[in-house]
Amino acid sequence: MVREGRGGHLKRLNLCMPITLYLANDTSARAAGADRLAAAWADVPDVHVVRTSSRGAFFLEPLVERDGPEGRVLWPRAKPDDLARIRNGAGGISLAEVPFLAQQQRAVFARFGTAQPLSLEEYRANGGWRGWERANNLPPEAIIAEMKSSGLRGRGGAAFPVWHKWEIARRTSADQKYVVANADEGDAGTYCDRMIMEGEPFRLIEGMLICAKAVGADRGYIYCRWEYPAAAATMQAAIAEVERTGMLTIDKHPFRLEVFRGAGSYVCGEETALLSSLEGGRGMVKVRPPYPAVAGLHGKPTVVSNVLTFGTVVEIMARGADWHAALGTVGSKGLIALQLGGRIRQPGLVEIPFGATLAEVLERFGGGMAEGSRFKAVQVGGPLGSLFPESQLHIPLCFDTFNEAGAVLGHGGIVVFDDQTDMVELARHYMTFTADESCGKCTPCRIGSVRARELLERIEGGSGTAGDLDLLADLGDTMKATSLCAHGGRAPYPILTAIEHFGDEFRRRLPSNGPNGTADRRGRNVP
Amino acid sequence: MTTGEPAVLERVLEQHRPRPGEQANILRTLLAVQQALGHVPPNAIGPLADALRVPEAHVAGVLSYYPDLHTTPRGRHVVRVCLGEACVANRSPRLLADLKRILGIGIGETTEDGQATLERVYCLGNCGVGPTVMVDETIYGRLSASDVQKLLMPNGA
Repeated sequence: MVREGRGGHLKRLNLCMPITLYLANDTSARAAGADRLAAAWADVPDVHVVRTSSRGAFFLEPLVERDGPEGRVLWPRAKPDDLARIRNGAGGISLAEVPFLAQQQRAVFARFGTAQPLSLEEYRANGGWRGWERANNLPPEAIIAEMKSSGLRGRGGAAFPVWHKWEIARRTSADQKYVVANADEGDAGTYCDRMIMEGEPFRLIEGMLICAKAVGADRGYIYCRWEYPAAAATMQAAIAEVERTGMLTIDKHPFRLEVFRGAGSYVCGEETALLSSLEGGRGMVKVRPPYPAVAGLHGKPTVVSNVLTFGTVVEIMARGADWHAALGTVGSKGLIALQLGGRIRQPGLVEIPFGATLAEVLERFGGGMAEGSRFKAVQVGGPLGSLFPESQLHIPLCFDTFNEAGAVLGHGGIVVFDDQTDMVELARHYMTFTADESCGKCTPCRIGSVRARELLERIEGGSGTAGDLDLLADLGDTMKATSLCAHGGRAPYPILTAIEHFGDEFRRRLPSNGPNGTADRRGRNVP
Repeated sequence: MTTGEPAVLERVLEQHRPRPGEQANILRTLLAVQQALGHVPPNAIGPLADALRVPEAHVAGVLSYYPDLHTTPRGRHVVRVCLGEACVANRSPRLLADLKRILGIGIGETTEDGQATLERVYCLGNCGVGPTVMVDETIYGRLSASDVQKLLMPNGA
């Protein structure tokens, strides 16, 4: 929780001086009311409002900041009439007084909340572009060696070693190679890629340049979902700015970089579907191999990586591989960007080393449950992630522990559900989503998700049968074993974990809930 | 297509005709047509396929695949309720049910006066301040159904 402000941080300031106020221009800050504040104060004499990236402490938005003698002073949840108070320096708190922020160990998001997103000058003055400057003076092999010793694994969900993908693309000879940023951040409950694109767009460009140099690509695309209009516009403006200054070049050759907008398909976050979409076709998943690093966009070697991955590449090049390798756990090096949401008191972005337990994160950063709510379950890793009940919150957040538990970290989304959540309704919601978004390539996913949704609708409507839960388990097994991508392969997990941990809620809805229901087979499919 | 639309379509297609050495991009072209006309009229499929030199079936296939490509005109305002899990946890399904009642339409439908189209969307990345509703290109957070109703009032948004 935010402690009461002691105030007085600005006592040494001359109160008659013109003041500069910082206000985030991030989508969520604006959704919380930042634009209303900016509009209300636009014509106030001597008040200059600067729009910045967001700190990601969304429970504090709209958050107003001022420079103080010991750093920024913060006024959380500000309203237009708070201006007098802010001018007088009354009631503000320091960053150290916000444990949510003070306890994080930020790297990619270290400068968030301070600078103007589209000022290349500020980006460079604050330490940006150093990763590229270093990479630009290294041979490709050395850049890839740096990635290898850093231990960086892709942050989009698949957790594939970054250096390996780059090495394959580098070794594959072709007349054209591509670098593609996967900005189709479709996992519900995640927003760190959006924050990077809106808050530090030059970071993504820098990361893509480093990759392009390493693999020998001269064209790049940022595949941005349509749900992120502000991110796409900011990236376009940032690309134009880097081009204007002549810095969008590799070894004196231009690097052609474009933003491509998607059209609302979740599966396009899977790399082969994304590339089909980028070519202008249906976003259908393809059989791998060949992997995109060998034959991707238009059949040419293509590195597809998530936005946060490119953002982390920048940090590794700037700080060195050892910095990254020293953080986290043996199998999960570095920092994880967790995105808290749902019925939590303090939703927002948390960047910390891998290895903290789920319980620690929910308590230390989440601040416990939202007012008047009681914990029921937490889902980690987006709509295809597993549900965890209160008894399983001791699991450490790293790739291997989640893998062993049959769960996924995905893209770091953590959504908390309270005791008012109807698990049958939630399970039906998941399968509706899976059926809506299935690309149709694999029959078990295309048909299976519809049948599973129907089964859950039947149970929800009170007309299910005792065998329905068994049928769901069998169907889940088939989908897991026979789907090409994670959409079909992971879709059963939230449903089966809901049945595993909250089976009574399902059985109560069955008219004939006899002893030969699913109690004895509960959990069979969930490792 | 209505009066004027064929000329607009022709202009868009002219910009997206593949130049020598370039590949046609059906999705990009469809998005541009939708941007210009508000939707993609089914009888634009033929001219589009001709311009890109691809089979009509491919164009129709792409058009039917993407949730955000529409073949019928939509309301003056498009209201999208987020059904991503973080918003679901914060009761967005209830918000959607309220909106259906208030507007008297279902998901994907448009009010009789053409004022609003109601849609659901799976996550707008606004999870920190949900429940989230997007009205046209603006994203709102921490909303109740009455807040949304105010936004839709003639002098609201």
